[in-house]
Amino acid sequence: MAKKILLADDDPEVVDATSMLLEDEGYEVITAKDGAEALEKIKEENPDLLILDLLMPHVDGFGVFKALEDPAFAKWSKIPIIILTSVRREVSNRRYELETGRSMSYGAYLEKPAEPDELLATVSSLIGNAG
Amino acid sequence: MRDRIIHEIARSVVAAGGVENVIQALVEAITRGAEAKGCTLLTLKEGGRRLVHRVSYGVGKGGLGEGNILADHALEHILEGNPLFIWDMASDPRVIRKEEADREGVASMLFLPVRDSKGVNGLMQLYFSEGKKLGGEELAFLDALAELGGFILEKAEAQELLLRDAEDAHRDLLQMRKERRHFLSFLSMVTHDLKSPLVAVQGYLKVLLRKSADCLDERMIAGIRRSIQRLDAMMELVSDLLELSRLESGQMLYEFKTVSWEEVLGAAVEMAHELAEPKGITVATEIHRPLPEVFASDIRLQQLILNLVSNSVRFTPRGGRITIRARLENDAVIVGVEDEGTGIEPEKLPHIFEEFYKGDPESPEGTGLGLSICKRIVDQHHGAIWAESPVPETKKGTRVTFSIPVGVICRLEDKWLLEENVSPSLPGKPKGGKE
Repeated sequence: MAKKILLADDDPEVVDATSMLLEDEGYEVITAKDGAEALEKIKEENPDLLILDLLMPHVDGFGVFKALEDPAFAKWSKIPIIILTSVRREVSNRRYELETGRSMSYGAYLEKPAEPDELLATVSSLIGNAG
Repeated sequence: MRDRIIHEIARSVVAAGGVENVIQALVEAITRGAEAKGCTLLTLKEGGRRLVHRVSYGVGKGGLGEGNILADHALEHILEGNPLFIWDMASDPRVIRKEEADREGVASMLFLPVRDSKGVNGLMQLYFSEGKKLGGEELAFLDALAELGGFILEKAEAQELLLRDAEDAHRDLLQMRKERRHFLSFLSMVTHDLKSPLVAVQGYLKVLLRKSADCLDERMIAGIRRSIQRLDAMMELVSDLLELSRLESGQMLYEFKTVSWEEVLGAAVEMAHELAEPKGITVATEIHRPLPEVFASDIRLQQLILNLVSNSVRFTPRGGRITIRARLENDAVIVGVEDEGTGIEPEKLPHIFEEFYKGDPESPEGTGLGLSICKRIVDQHHGAIWAESPVPETKKGTRVTFSIPVGVICRLEDKWLLEENVSPSLPGKPKGGKE
């Protein structure tokens, strides 16, 4: 069965281009346009990997992060996460620490614009090939 | 001599006790010392046209204390500098509101003009409940005390003006800070809004290139590659513009803290290697330790050095060398970045630190803002930056040097920009003021 990736980003162009890239490699891609939709789809679809933008309306990436630490999401708390965002890594880490008192832990942090090859390599390192 | 003594006393007394306390003590002491019923001090305002009550002892503020119990001509004469003693308030023709005097039980009054360095600035009124005889010496002494009161009133005026200016300045400062905060958050929003579409478009192009490389000819592929590059350049420009605006608005001052030059250089050199190695360029260093600590922004100093290094990398051919030097000289740390690159023409040298000035306008690389950002950073650290091309010792390449003073230099306006809760307070400001 093909590996399933949930991609959350509020920019439709980014969603389209990234889906195209991943689907070409054989992955199945589910998309969400904000954190709230992402959390719903995590429950419905049980993805193998999350690619998460940070700056989104309604519920942002940080919101998704925090939600996954809640017992209600215990089943999905171990899903590997790639953060794909224009925000600099140190800035995000610092903000998360200030807001929650914990350090942010993720599978990988990629700053936009990311090279397609780099993204694919990162995905593969976390969940392997599409299968 | 009398003036000098009185002036000196006024100054130090006000500095010590504050104007309000002193004039209160003055009228009380005079009243008691002269065995009078009371004493009032009035200030002359509006260019000499109005007398305003300032302080009194022993007598009410209204009525007698208002300063208008004498006929105009008599008052004028006093305010020209002539003391007046009215022996019998009840019958003297110069007194126009005899019933006030009667009500307060005042039989005689002494009117003393009060002077400062510029002339008469007020009136002191001394009230006696019974007919009083004052000798020449006593009158002269009371006159001297009145003059002391005058000088003190002058100080009070000056202090009030100062306080008002300080309060205005403080208000302006708070307004400025508010506007700057709005501007910075606006800037962040705008840059994000400018960059996001560029990132998205570039992402698309990269993916399209990957997918369709087989069905595109060389020219089309080159065209897409060029587009991707030009988007990189645009994103860099947007970032640089944001940087520049942030620096302009003093954002950097918030980052100042005690930093170690040795750590700054260590980190910068490491990053310089990362920039240079992929291009086959070596980085040499000549750092004369020990180097001091300095009150500065470590991120900005590193950014400064890296900007210079990346310029050198851009213009130095493969196999070339970049040298980073640092030393302490006369209370300043001097850092130089030298390369063996193509150099800068003499006529361009004076302009390189200007915004948008590009050595080679045709070149797609660089935004022309890098060196102006460097200059801003140096300026905010109260240092200097200059360039030499060719490098005198080697006759080739370019060397950009900057010096940053070691001492903690914190101008008053920097300090006020940093401290959020500065409020003006001057000695003698009455308690329970507006703040």
